[in-house]
Amino acid sequence: MVEKLRDTPKIDELMKGPWPSFVKEIKLSAKLSGRAGERANDLLGVLERSYNDKIGHWKHGGIVGVMGYGGGVIGRYNDLPEEFPKVAHFHTVRVNQPSGWFYKTDVLRKICDLWEKHGSGVTNMHGSTGDIILLGCATEDLEPVFADLTEMGFDLGGSGSDVRTPSACCGMARCEWACYDTMGACHDITQTFQDELHRPAFPYKYKFKFAGCPNDCVASVARSDMSIIGTWRDDIQMDAAAVSEYAQSGKFDMQADVVGRCPTGCMSWDGQKLAIDNRNCVKCMHCINAMPKALAPGRDRGATVLLGSKAPIVGGALLSSVMVPFLKMEPPYEDLKELAEAIWDLWGEHGKNRERVGEFIQRIGMSNFLEQIGLDPIPEMVIQPRTNPYIFFETEEEE
Amino acid sequence: MAVDMKKRVTDIGPPHYDKFLPPVIKKNYGKWKYHEIVKPGVLMHVAESGDKLYSVRAATPRLASIESIRMFCDIADEFCDGHLRYTSRNNVEFLITDESKIDPCVARLKKEGYPVGGMGPSITNIVHTQGWVHCHSAATDASGVVKSLMDELFPYFEEMNLPAKLRIAFACCLNMCGAVHCSDIALLGVHRRIPEIQHDQIKAQCEIPSTVAACPTGAIRTATVDGKQSVEVIEEQCMFCANCYTVCPAMTLNDPEMDGLSIWVGGKVSNARHEPMFSKLAIPYIPNEPPRWPTAVKAVKNIVETYAKNARKFERVGEWIERIGWPQFFDLTGIEFTKYHIDDFTHAGESFKRSAQLRHK
Amino acid sequence: MSVSEDQVAEAMYAMIKEYHGKRNLKALDLSKAMIEKFGEEECDKKFCKKAIRQLIDSGRCTYSYVGGSYIVLPPDSPDAR
Repeated sequence: MVEKLRDTPKIDELMKGPWPSFVKEIKLSAKLSGRAGERANDLLGVLERSYNDKIGHWKHGGIVGVMGYGGGVIGRYNDLPEEFPKVAHFHTVRVNQPSGWFYKTDVLRKICDLWEKHGSGVTNMHGSTGDIILLGCATEDLEPVFADLTEMGFDLGGSGSDVRTPSACCGMARCEWACYDTMGACHDITQTFQDELHRPAFPYKYKFKFAGCPNDCVASVARSDMSIIGTWRDDIQMDAAAVSEYAQSGKFDMQADVVGRCPTGCMSWDGQKLAIDNRNCVKCMHCINAMPKALAPGRDRGATVLLGSKAPIVGGALLSSVMVPFLKMEPPYEDLKELAEAIWDLWGEHGKNRERVGEFIQRIGMSNFLEQIGLDPIPEMVIQPRTNPYIFFETEEEE
Repeated sequence: MAVDMKKRVTDIGPPHYDKFLPPVIKKNYGKWKYHEIVKPGVLMHVAESGDKLYSVRAATPRLASIESIRMFCDIADEFCDGHLRYTSRNNVEFLITDESKIDPCVARLKKEGYPVGGMGPSITNIVHTQGWVHCHSAATDASGVVKSLMDELFPYFEEMNLPAKLRIAFACCLNMCGAVHCSDIALLGVHRRIPEIQHDQIKAQCEIPSTVAACPTGAIRTATVDGKQSVEVIEEQCMFCANCYTVCPAMTLNDPEMDGLSIWVGGKVSNARHEPMFSKLAIPYIPNEPPRWPTAVKAVKNIVETYAKNARKFERVGEWIERIGWPQFFDLTGIEFTKYHIDDFTHAGESFKRSAQLRHK
Repeated sequence: MSVSEDQVAEAMYAMIKEYHGKRNLKALDLSKAMIEKFGEEECDKKFCKKAIRQLIDSGRCTYSYVGGSYIVLPPDSPDAR
């Protein structure tokens, strides 16, 4: 047990106020017995130092990981090892979360025990990509942590130039809007591509995110190279009596707030009856969100597959764009897997270092890309056709 | 390190989620009928079978001690037969089937200091990154700014009185390990000084050609410094993205006085009404002011309050601004429009106004 | 096939050793070089993947991260000096 916690007047200011405090969390771990407490205590010290210096004190990269894997551990070293020896090596361990982030307390407690024994007692629940993050592992503890994790039935997530840990919304487990089994698909894809996840062989990272409906609660359109967003093809299901209840509830103005906000103007309301021109519905979810008891996605359900989103580094931020407008999402998800593999084959061979799929498509051209992976160009893929006449005509006609 | 590869178990992947689902979910998987927010922080899902599942949502600071996870486990054991889940925005949800256990569960969470809310037209937990707690390229802290912000925006978490949901995200550098580029309000750490090159270490730590190739604007070129092979940075071409630093740790950018954060608005990821949108620049630079970042907190609060006052029902920040126009957004918020707001990167021209459709004062 | 996995692994190892301290190689750099050296018929991408796994699992090579994932000699390797 640490005899005295590090003196941290600056960050103690962040113990105040109604929102839960991360400083309080680090202090809880600093009070743990053994090495975990010592490490968390030095983390407090480093953080206080950063709050005084106004810069971070961490270094990155290098050779660190568990034997055989190239992903799952991110090297992190402190630049003041003499002052804070217990966090000199303070690596991140990414643990692949179960789909949908559901847990039973017995397994969570086991993870806590493991991280008290081998780590710092400090975690992130969860990291941005979805993994359970164990924050602050010493190099010599990596193998024991990995052995204990696999013993418990867990495995590491992705990092570096590999398939990153796929994630999914809670889907059919707890949402009536799920247009496919997001958790099932996420688990299946994760298991299928274990090799690609643990042994980096791509130009850069490749993320999958599974969202059950166009509300996209896992931000797949913005944060995954392959965004699989649930949707439907037939008519919105409607319970007319429940629509009337909403209309009379005073919760909103049916004309202005629901019908008036439909992006394609495909709805009308005569004060009694709601009519939907389903052919013109773009499945935006607004009316369904407003009246979950009265409206629901149709019964012919599947997903739209979009490709290429990413944050700014290197060539600017991108949102994913449509590849397959509608795909039935049934196990074993062969179409999706084949599409992913065709993309990896092409991008793997011609992609530059640190070039994401979205950037790769921009460099080589979408039509060229489609031809190479064997997809036909369709109008759903664009907002509008090109407006410039600089067309790369193929001058040699094939027979 | 001696590792017996034969005894090792690898590539097992995550445990199957089925093991962790409560019986009510297993029974009604894919057969939910509708849901309702019973009160702030309490969601009720009703299945076709008539079964009901209540989810009590509490905020966590993302950075969690195993001690507080154990405490959540105690709560889940007491009220939920040991079942809980986390959300994509770092909230924890307690899954309850016995209606009488909702209020005691909420009370217990609040007593432990974890607020219940973040549903419907509210501000839920801020998605954020590591910051100074654990990141090499952080231009600002993350957890500290988020804590300071949420202390101030706290009523919006516990209540549901905004025009629509408002999503805030925070990333401590341009790598953006968070959906900062598509959030209603986003805070983004920025560097503003060119990399300081550690000429004596660069050869040992980095590969010169890949460091040169890492620059998206071609601002890095090879150079010989004191007879040693190194690189130099053309100052006018550097936009402080730090990509070179990720590739080459000997190109440090962190600077106590020049680093800080920027604020972005009007992004969204959902398809509801308007298609997904990027966040757009509102405030290019606010200095780092630890420990409580008062200027940043005030700036965000101002945007939230202006939006709350002016937007129509169901209108997200980006939809509101699109309706009223950007000049009016700057007018209403009192935020200064500067040369930095005009894009000059690759696809700059796409954001230029190319019509005479303007509002005049 | 007349080329064995061991042969490919050895050729990869020789390449990593040759470039050590000069240029970091990615899994794909190795595969491309091997396919060129032995021919697609003898040594395809899947075969290269196996050879890489052999090098990594045996501990002769290891993964490294420098803004991307590379395959390098471990620091304590006699060939790394």
